[in-house]
Amino acid sequence: MNDAASASEGLVVRGLSKTFPGQVALAGVGLRLRAGEVHALLGQNGSGKSTLIKILAGVYQPDPGGTVTVNGASLALGSAVAAHHAGLRFIHQDLGLVPTLDVVDNLALGQRYQARWWLSARREAAAARELLADLDAGIDVGALVGRLSAAERTIVAVARAVRGGVSSSGVLVLDEPTASLPAAETGRLFRLVRTVAERGTAVLYVTHRISEVFALADRVTVLRDGHAVLSAPVGEVSHDLLVEHIVGRPIEEFYPQVPVPGADIALAVRDLATARLRELSFAVHRGEIVGVAGISGSGREDVAPALAGAIPWAGGQMTLGERVIGRLDPAVAISLGIAYLPHDRKRESAIPAFTVRENLTLPRLRTTRGGWLSLRQERADAECWLDRLAVRPADAERVFATLSGGNQQKVVLARWMRCGATAFVLDEPTQGVDVGAKSMIYQSLTEAARQGAAVIVASSDNEELARLCDRVIVLHDGRAGAELHGSALTADSIARQALAAAVPA
Amino acid sequence: MSVDVPAGPVEASAGDAADGGLTHPRRSLADRLGLGRLSGVYVWGLFIVIYAIWIPHTFLTLATLQSVAGDQAITGIVAIGLVFALAAGAFDLSFATLLTMASVICGSMMSVWHVPSGLAILATLAAGVMVGVINGLLVTRVGISSIVATLGMSSLIQAVIDRVTNGGQFITGFPRSFTDLASPEPFGVPVLAIYLVVIAFAAWYLLEHAPFGRRLQATGAGADAARLAGVNTDRMVFAGLVASSTAATIGGILVTSQIGSVSPTVGTGYLLPVFAAVFLGTTQLKVGRFNVWGTIVAIYLLATGVKGLQLGGGEGWITDAFNGVALLLAVSLAVIGQRRQGGSRLLPSGGRLLRRRPRSASTP
Repeated sequence: MNDAASASEGLVVRGLSKTFPGQVALAGVGLRLRAGEVHALLGQNGSGKSTLIKILAGVYQPDPGGTVTVNGASLALGSAVAAHHAGLRFIHQDLGLVPTLDVVDNLALGQRYQARWWLSARREAAAARELLADLDAGIDVGALVGRLSAAERTIVAVARAVRGGVSSSGVLVLDEPTASLPAAETGRLFRLVRTVAERGTAVLYVTHRISEVFALADRVTVLRDGHAVLSAPVGEVSHDLLVEHIVGRPIEEFYPQVPVPGADIALAVRDLATARLRELSFAVHRGEIVGVAGISGSGREDVAPALAGAIPWAGGQMTLGERVIGRLDPAVAISLGIAYLPHDRKRESAIPAFTVRENLTLPRLRTTRGGWLSLRQERADAECWLDRLAVRPADAERVFATLSGGNQQKVVLARWMRCGATAFVLDEPTQGVDVGAKSMIYQSLTEAARQGAAVIVASSDNEELARLCDRVIVLHDGRAGAELHGSALTADSIARQALAAAVPA
Repeated sequence: MSVDVPAGPVEASAGDAADGGLTHPRRSLADRLGLGRLSGVYVWGLFIVIYAIWIPHTFLTLATLQSVAGDQAITGIVAIGLVFALAAGAFDLSFATLLTMASVICGSMMSVWHVPSGLAILATLAAGVMVGVINGLLVTRVGISSIVATLGMSSLIQAVIDRVTNGGQFITGFPRSFTDLASPEPFGVPVLAIYLVVIAFAAWYLLEHAPFGRRLQATGAGADAARLAGVNTDRMVFAGLVASSTAATIGGILVTSQIGSVSPTVGTGYLLPVFAAVFLGTTQLKVGRFNVWGTIVAIYLLATGVKGLQLGGGEGWITDAFNGVALLLAVSLAVIGQRRQGGSRLLPSGGRLLRRRPRSASTP
């Protein structure tokens, strides 16, 4: 790559550093983003990804010495206005859309309406339709954004960002756009991102999901501890190589050895029915990790909440050890030893404003004989569990919301282990969790299984299911379809079965 | 069960980096919180010093002390009830009219129908609890937002008051045994203040040192998460509203005994000071939480401020202005404090103020 070529490059970052008091977030990071390429940026939480993006967006002023050029022109750092003028556009995780307005109004927000004095709904709709058709997005412009699927909302945000002539020479930065998308819905977004890139926009795509790098990107850069530790064309790297660079250690230690399941059945459901499940039957042995796969709408989303009593059953029964249950609410599920880790961690799995200790002990509050909740005993109890699961920091009085995603998940796991759970039901356990913490969660689950617990993991991440589970049940239309295990259990075979099942036989 | 952790150093460095922005300011924030948690006490002290210099002859007297302690005891009891409702994430706007209703019912029974005072008190308590039960059922069974339910209830109660008092006549003439309830001053301490201390300790135990209180607070801070942790959130909201109504009823009975007559608007004066105190209380002692002692500090802080202004010759509107400013300031401080902590809303005022979450599953 010579200097003459760099003139045609979209975004060139050289020697960018950022020091916070007591911490170096970025240490001389360089990055070259060619016009028309999709460049994936990988790294754990705290690797410097978000610092880099915030510098590009003009939120942070970097340490002196680094430079950023956009199409050869030097960018004034530390100014959001300058970044916008230079053609940099950012899609953050929360998208910045207004759910109660329709697509037309959302597209106009942040840009502007076509007209200046008199708004014509027809003209605005036509312009919006044209924009979306141009991007081949296929979204109804009259629909309320709140009614769109998560993938469609992201598409609207992208369309808004590239609107207004920026598309040919600008830089589009997507910050984990798929963090809250089910894997099955990412395809449309990827096609759109490719379309945008093919028209000459340089796309910086930040993600946690390694499989997306191969599905979408031309080049990939890995950040670790503020350094760019790898930058290469996607064709020259492998999945394992990327993981090793992200976590900084060999791949063998990432997915733990799967324990051998016991013979006796821990939990079985028969003809379980909910809004999206019809007559689902399966059984899980003690010490077994069973995965539940399926495309969205297959009923996969309902399995974990139904087993935990979080959503009402329309019929069916569950056998747990000796007990046969015809209906379930969360309190009963807990008393039966069922632990539930919902996918919506912010709202469902714990109380963000409570301390770690309060979250840990909430399902089972132990008082002294006099009926006194002793804070000292409670703290000792909580700290012991934080130690066991290596939660960082091991501070029981810390507010839950301030922990990283992986540590939050570990606290919730600890909570249920403390209750002596014998069945763990997890819904998308590693969605939005960085790679290092993922590994920790897998280790904890495997450990729980080794102790004889039954583990059920519903996930849209087929790679995860294939590597973690003894057996994977692929749902189809609310029922258990194919069952994969042993050598037949691969990410590809799960995806094939899930899609094949979707086509009526 | 020990989990082998080869990832130790990696995770630790990632954790440190992620916290980088937080660990440094955290220390100074903690220091500031040490000051912040007690800021009310300092301001209180400041009020006392200012008034002591400004109006020493009227302010620095035993009578002032007794009147502040005694007058505010009823506000305190009612506020402690409201702490329970708000901690469970439910607003109770009906407690002020309920206080009047309790006063009216209790007073009418004794002076108009000549019911013995003990029986009148019991009947009044039953009526008050009933109001709480209806509020609770409207919110948990029907699923109305607590604001709307209690606002409607408040209007209904007003209708009852108007009916019983024939459109607002005063009721007087109670037996001695009844007025003795609020008047004694053993060792110079107003008995109402003693009631407050007893109730405050009981409430503090329930809220901070009984599993019930933890579950109640969990319901207010995150109803979905609390439900999935096995908390019967409907029961908690119900309990919070009943506690609030019960406390308001007790307040109504005591105020009747204290004044010796029933004014058909007596409760209205409690609405704002009580809300102001409870919200100001969330900025004190246990920051970000509705809590008993913070509320008590807030009440006496506000009462001292108002008392001094009154003694200094302030006009009647001063009280309302003071309480209004205090409420707005208190809630602003609470909200800003939360934002500082980087947490999402600690107060239920953000999410649950206007809507109750749709019940995703019926409790069987």
